[in-house]
Amino acid sequence: MSEPDPRLAPPGWSAAPERWRASLRRIRILGPFNLALAAWYFGWLLHPDRIGHPVLYAALVAAELFNLVQAAGFWWTCAHQRARPPSTPLPGAPVDVDVFVPVYDEPVDVVEATVAGAARMTAARVRLHVLDDGGNPEVEELAVRHGAAYVRRTVRAGAKAGNLNHALARTSAPFVAVFDCDHVPDPDFLERTLGHFVLGRTAFVQTPQYYANARATDVAGAAWAQQALFFGPIARGKDGLEAMICCGTNVVFRREALQEAGGFPEGSLTEDFELSLRLHERGWTSAYLPEVLARGLGPEDMASYAGQQSRWARGCISAIPKVLRARLPWRVRLQYLLSGMFFLTGWTFLVYMSLPVIRLLTGAQPLAGASADQFLLHFAPYYAGALMAVAVAGGGSYTFAAFALTAATFWVQVRAGVVAVLRRPGRFVVTPKRGSGKGDLSTAAPALAVIAVLVLAAAWGLLQDRSAATLNNVAFAALHVALLSAGARPALRRARPARAREVEQERTAA
Amino acid sequence: MATMTREKPRAGGFSSPERPRRIAAEQIAVAAAQLAAGAGNLAFAMVAARLLPPGDFARLSAFLALWLLLHLPAGSLSAGAAVRPGLASSSAGPALRLGLAGAAGAAAAAAPLSRALGLPVPLMLALAASVPGAALLALRRGALYGSGRYRGLVSSMAMEPAVRLTLGIPLAWLFGVEGAVAGVVAGGYAALAIAHRAGRTLRVTPPPDIGSRGPDSIPRAAPAVAAFLLLALVQNQDVVLANRLLGRPEAGLFAAVSTLGGIAAFATSTVPLVLLRRALLADRRALVAGLAVAAGLGSGVLAVTAAVPDRLAGGLLGDRYAGAGALAGRYVLAMSLLGIARVLAAWRAGTGRSRTAVAVLVAAAALQAGLILGLGRDAAAVANATLASTSAAVLALAGAEAARIPSVRRGATRALARLRSRPHMAAVAAVTLAALGLRLVFTRGLWLDEAISVAAVKLSFGEMIGAIRAGDVHPPLHAAVLWATARALGTGELAVRIPSVVAGTLLVPVLFAAGRELYDRRTGFVAAVLGAAAPLAVWYSQEARMYAMFMLFATISVWMLVRALRRGRPADWLLYAVAVAALLWTHYFAVLLVAVQQVAVALALRRPGEGSGRRRLALGWVLAVAVLAASLWPLAGIVSDQWATYQDRGAGLQPVPAQAGAEVAGVQGRPSIYGALANGVWALWGYHSDEAMVRLVALWPLGMLGALLLLGRRGSRETKFLVAGTLVPMVVLFLLGLGKRDLFELRYAIAAVPLGALLCARAVTGIRSRTLQAGAAVVLVASLLVALTDQQLNRSNPRLYDFKGALGEVKERARPGDVIVYAPLYLEPVVSYYAPGVPASSLSAGLPGPDEGKRVFLVGSFLDRKETAAAVGTAEADLRQQRQLLDRVRRPQVQVWVFE
Repeated sequence: MSEPDPRLAPPGWSAAPERWRASLRRIRILGPFNLALAAWYFGWLLHPDRIGHPVLYAALVAAELFNLVQAAGFWWTCAHQRARPPSTPLPGAPVDVDVFVPVYDEPVDVVEATVAGAARMTAARVRLHVLDDGGNPEVEELAVRHGAAYVRRTVRAGAKAGNLNHALARTSAPFVAVFDCDHVPDPDFLERTLGHFVLGRTAFVQTPQYYANARATDVAGAAWAQQALFFGPIARGKDGLEAMICCGTNVVFRREALQEAGGFPEGSLTEDFELSLRLHERGWTSAYLPEVLARGLGPEDMASYAGQQSRWARGCISAIPKVLRARLPWRVRLQYLLSGMFFLTGWTFLVYMSLPVIRLLTGAQPLAGASADQFLLHFAPYYAGALMAVAVAGGGSYTFAAFALTAATFWVQVRAGVVAVLRRPGRFVVTPKRGSGKGDLSTAAPALAVIAVLVLAAAWGLLQDRSAATLNNVAFAALHVALLSAGARPALRRARPARAREVEQERTAA
Repeated sequence: MATMTREKPRAGGFSSPERPRRIAAEQIAVAAAQLAAGAGNLAFAMVAARLLPPGDFARLSAFLALWLLLHLPAGSLSAGAAVRPGLASSSAGPALRLGLAGAAGAAAAAAPLSRALGLPVPLMLALAASVPGAALLALRRGALYGSGRYRGLVSSMAMEPAVRLTLGIPLAWLFGVEGAVAGVVAGGYAALAIAHRAGRTLRVTPPPDIGSRGPDSIPRAAPAVAAFLLLALVQNQDVVLANRLLGRPEAGLFAAVSTLGGIAAFATSTVPLVLLRRALLADRRALVAGLAVAAGLGSGVLAVTAAVPDRLAGGLLGDRYAGAGALAGRYVLAMSLLGIARVLAAWRAGTGRSRTAVAVLVAAAALQAGLILGLGRDAAAVANATLASTSAAVLALAGAEAARIPSVRRGATRALARLRSRPHMAAVAAVTLAALGLRLVFTRGLWLDEAISVAAVKLSFGEMIGAIRAGDVHPPLHAAVLWATARALGTGELAVRIPSVVAGTLLVPVLFAAGRELYDRRTGFVAAVLGAAAPLAVWYSQEARMYAMFMLFATISVWMLVRALRRGRPADWLLYAVAVAALLWTHYFAVLLVAVQQVAVALALRRPGEGSGRRRLALGWVLAVAVLAASLWPLAGIVSDQWATYQDRGAGLQPVPAQAGAEVAGVQGRPSIYGALANGVWALWGYHSDEAMVRLVALWPLGMLGALLLLGRRGSRETKFLVAGTLVPMVVLFLLGLGKRDLFELRYAIAAVPLGALLCARAVTGIRSRTLQAGAAVVLVASLLVALTDQQLNRSNPRLYDFKGALGEVKERARPGDVIVYAPLYLEPVVSYYAPGVPASSLSAGLPGPDEGKRVFLVGSFLDRKETAAAVGTAEADLRQQRQLLDRVRRPQVQVWVFE
């Protein structure tokens, strides 16, 4: 008996839960309060008397300021949330919509559910196109089976963006919907979204990228928790600020806008992000409909997750100079910067993890003229306020596992930053739709190495002395060890659902 | 039983069914006669005291003591005769012959006995003359008890003091002590004559129901006699043993205590004898009436003793024995319990089941003797031994009796079956027992606040409440409980801590119930285990202060509130109101927790729901508030007076430090963030050395991990309520402490301990994997046990003040003429507790001069306070100039310098 496809089950999450307005009220109170706490902390931290080791101090202040900007940006975004209601259908006769399902080398059964779902969409004259860059005859067969046009390029340039542009050139409907091949749309997807194009300058309507397989593995669950925070309060806030970005799937475009922007940018690893930027730069607006209208698959293992994050990080970090150059309203520009810079967070982890190691091994520390309890007195309220804001805004969707996964893959963002600065070209890697089911030591190796360094440094420090100051740094090291261990743990064990699938396959074969 | 013939039942006979009121009335009437006789004998002694020269009165007193000694064992014959009234006639001849022989022997030995006892020969001869009458009087009175001829019995009782007063007093006036003694002997024989006359026409028959079953069904008299002899032994052997084991002053003190206790024993002595007759019919109403009368009389004497112990002891025995008042309460309680044991033993004797009673009483007597011989180092220990043995006897006899009641047996069987079907209940009971054990081992000496509490409860109740109104900052519930405990059990370390031990132990099953109500049974059980081992819960269960009660009532209030909010039954709201009232009568800062609870109620009322449900909730809450307001009304006056006093003395000029030790807790007199963290650590893992705390608190980054772990855990309403109940009081006190340092004290928010245990339990049971769950529970409990061991045994614990060790050494070394000088001023209660009798004064009153006092013990504590350290240092230097330093005793946080 095969497992039921989780994408066909109703979603277990709402992008605009009933109590989102209550959470908005709370975040509007918490935001200014947290800013006051931040002022209390940074007022203390930035005092010249606090400078201990100048380099370490500079690194600490840079990391803290970066996180403050991110946190303040988060509070600001969340304070502007809005939740659009589902639209009424466009007036007049049903419009034509070209629906693109780009395929690369994904399993046919994964693609089939998506194509079947897309074929069932109502409220428009749907022209379904399966854009197969993999050249798989089975995909062609299934396209035919579902009445979809099968499009295959002879020259596969520009990765997903190139594939979409290729199809764009061969179609003509005024609206274009895009679904990654693992995202199964609801029949009423177009009915709920097309009405938002009544406003003449709306370039695209984005809907949540829901991971239906969040329960499949720990990685999928943690990745979904990250997504849930983004497609919950952050996306609602970006929409409120009229700065919602395109996420590449579960989205409907106005063809006119796409054409004006020159189609999907083929030189970027995050074509969706850059496309949004171009559209906003040209005066187009965007809309976010906080309703799950398509259900997809998230990364199930560490390698898939790391690959996805690496692509997003490199694409977004590379786009930062373009954001800075773009002619955008300040609030929109700031939103793009916040989104782009988020992928530099890994650097702050690196700083935070280095500080206790350096202190334990060399005695050098960033702060001076202050006792640990003074630091705690100023830092703890700010830290607690920031966490509370995440908890309140996310309504509990953002979990420790999500944070630990980010921490354990800090190196992905560090590497992406280096590569972006060096302007080394990247390759578009499609996120695998199923986990390997095997442990992934190589993906976890950087985290394990850091854990080893932290443990050795703590042991060394404790051998030297067991003063309160040393213990304080050992505790910091332990905090990081715990975070990294929790984040890397899924990479070290075999995912049970995947193993169950293997057993099923073996039985079938037998 | 040849003398027994059938007789028509007469007044006082067995015309059953009789009304319970009548059964009780005959008990009360006889007891009243006994009390009146006692009062008459007391009046005789008081007149004689004024009439006779002191030496003669002392001789009269000694004679009366010997007289009592003669009659007391003879009283056991009354029990035999009450079971078999015919015994009075059948045994009269042998008793007379035996008595005459005894009298002849006593007369022959009068001269040597006179020398040995220091009494004149005529008095010894008078005593010999009374010997034949003692046994006969006991037999005759027993027969009157057994036949229900109370009029004759009462007349006999009244005759004795009447003759003493009407004949003995004139004779004493005419002939001195010999005349008084003659009056006493004559009174005894007059009482015998009356008893004999009242029983002359007695042709005793067993009660109809018994008689119809034949003579063999009548219980034998011998076991009854044996049981009553054993009871007499328990009543008296402690005096004999104390006299043998203790030094003169202590033995004298115990004799005085025993005399006061004798009042309770005397007051209840007729009750079992009256009962015996009805016991033959196995009329349980008679047992109930007997128990009620015995308990009532005992309680009455206990109440009088407790109310004015010193005055009673001083008034009856002279100012020299005023100190006996401190022990009187527990000894009177012991004798009151003995009265109840006598009733139960009489019941069993009357119903032909004496064997158990005899066995129990043999064990009780052996226990008493064993305890006195093993632990009887002072009068208090001897009194405790008697209390322990009488309590054990009552429990055993009552248990044996209860086991015979069908409904009780059925109930016990059902309870056992329930226990078998619910093993968790047995587990909770085991955890509770373990908790009791943890609270009783590894205790410490009294700390300053405890000594202050103990000093307060030595006052009369009214004076104590007045003192609390005028000078304390706490509500009076704990003091009232402690006052009653001290009256019953004295002011020993264990005794004054019993309320806290009981509250701290009860906390364990209450945590289970609260955890089960809030979450589930598993959480309740884990909370109970955590509560049993929580170091702070153990610490304050060992302290004679209000904090264990604070924890208990706080947990009950949380439990009851959740029940009330879920079920909305008026009974739940009522229980909640009672719990909150008890909480607020225990500690004022509990108002912070109550405020959190009211917010929870308000939120529950706002929650969307059915109108009727909400209305019901609101009505229940109004009921609770009304009950609460009524129960707190009297407290308002106390609060008002205390507040006025507080303001008058400068709003917080604390004579006693609120905070002791713990360098981590404050910086320059203000609470620090590390102080707040230290309080958090204490709440879970208890008190540890400052060094350990500084290191533990430095691990605060792990708290960041804890905060991160909470991400994504939405928490139920119950959890949020518990978190608020734990944190809000602590945060408020922290903020208050910024303005006034001594308000930031964990013990003022001690509800955080049980509520924290509930939260930890929830955190454990919230783990999905059962293996991890068990692992987390084991790690948590193990950490608590390690912390508990360190807290209890580590002498560096900053909360440990070894006044007991330091002052105990002073007390041991002190000789007449030595003096104690202590600093700071507020050590007075603890000095007077541990070194009573050694002259002591505060250093602020100055040092003794070079010629004053043979040796000077300079006692210093709180030396971490600059001003105290400076004062003690200066005093030490001055004494060094005047005297020679013999020794220096260092105990945790207390030092003693011995100068000569």
